[in-house]
Amino acid sequence: MEELEQVFNSIVKQYSERLYWHVRRMVGSHEDADDLLQEIFLKIWTALPTFRGEAQLYTWVWRIATNETLNYLRKERVRALLRFSSADDLVAQKVQADPFFNGTAAEREVSKAVARLPEKQRQVFIMRWWDELSYEEISAITGTSVGALKASYHIAQEKIKLNLSDSEVSK
Amino acid sequence: MTKRNSITVPDGYFQNLEQRLQQIPQREMQSAAPRGVARLAPYVAYAASLVLLVTIGTFILRPSAKTEDEAWDYVSYLALSLDPDGLVELKETEELTDDDIRSYLLASNITVEQLALLSDEEAY
Repeated sequence: MEELEQVFNSIVKQYSERLYWHVRRMVGSHEDADDLLQEIFLKIWTALPTFRGEAQLYTWVWRIATNETLNYLRKERVRALLRFSSADDLVAQKVQADPFFNGTAAEREVSKAVARLPEKQRQVFIMRWWDELSYEEISAITGTSVGALKASYHIAQEKIKLNLSDSEVSK
Repeated sequence: MTKRNSITVPDGYFQNLEQRLQQIPQREMQSAAPRGVARLAPYVAYAASLVLLVTIGTFILRPSAKTEDEAWDYVSYLALSLDPDGLVELKETEELTDDDIRSYLLASNITVEQLALLSDEEAY
């Protein structure tokens, strides 16, 4: 058990900050990211005895984090629907209300445009653009082919541009 | 599109985060024992229900049942006594004759005493 704890602690040291930024960009607020990160690391601790080393630890940790994040966002959508509020703009609204945002108005618009992407497309975009993972790494984590990821990233970029031009027009 | 991190965190957040996350194993190990018992609770409940069922079944069958046939007679009797109206209803809706019913009762090995008892109940 002590050995597992040591491995877990080294995972925390190595990945917690990096995963925080990924999760924060995915969910849109610091509080939600903090809650979700606890859940992710709890999952990592629970699953650690079953880690067989077939995948790289790096890929395994990221896979848990990305799956948990998508599950969390799905649950958020259901909660929003039950409250009869719009689930489409949920993360963008959180970005808008985020007190820990210190960028310009234009940067907030970019963040909101990213937040409006469909969840999986947003995930690919954030992993590539912000987390600076290679397509091969993203492919190993998500199980999606490199070609599909490139297409997804390209479409995401186009959608962000379109979102930004729409918000310019509406001003 | 330029890349600049425009989101921040509260002061000292990451140091605090690391400490909180590293407490997960201890926290989980402490709560593992009561949770283990809680996980077993449904199985214990199922086992208890099964024991109760067997005990009741044995209690019902044992006093009057010396052989297997007698046991089944008793069960048939119980079924009929618990729902004598069902028999009457069947008679009315499916146009069964009294002979049909008598044949059925004879085939089911019901005793004369039990039939008499049922007739008495029907009379009320």
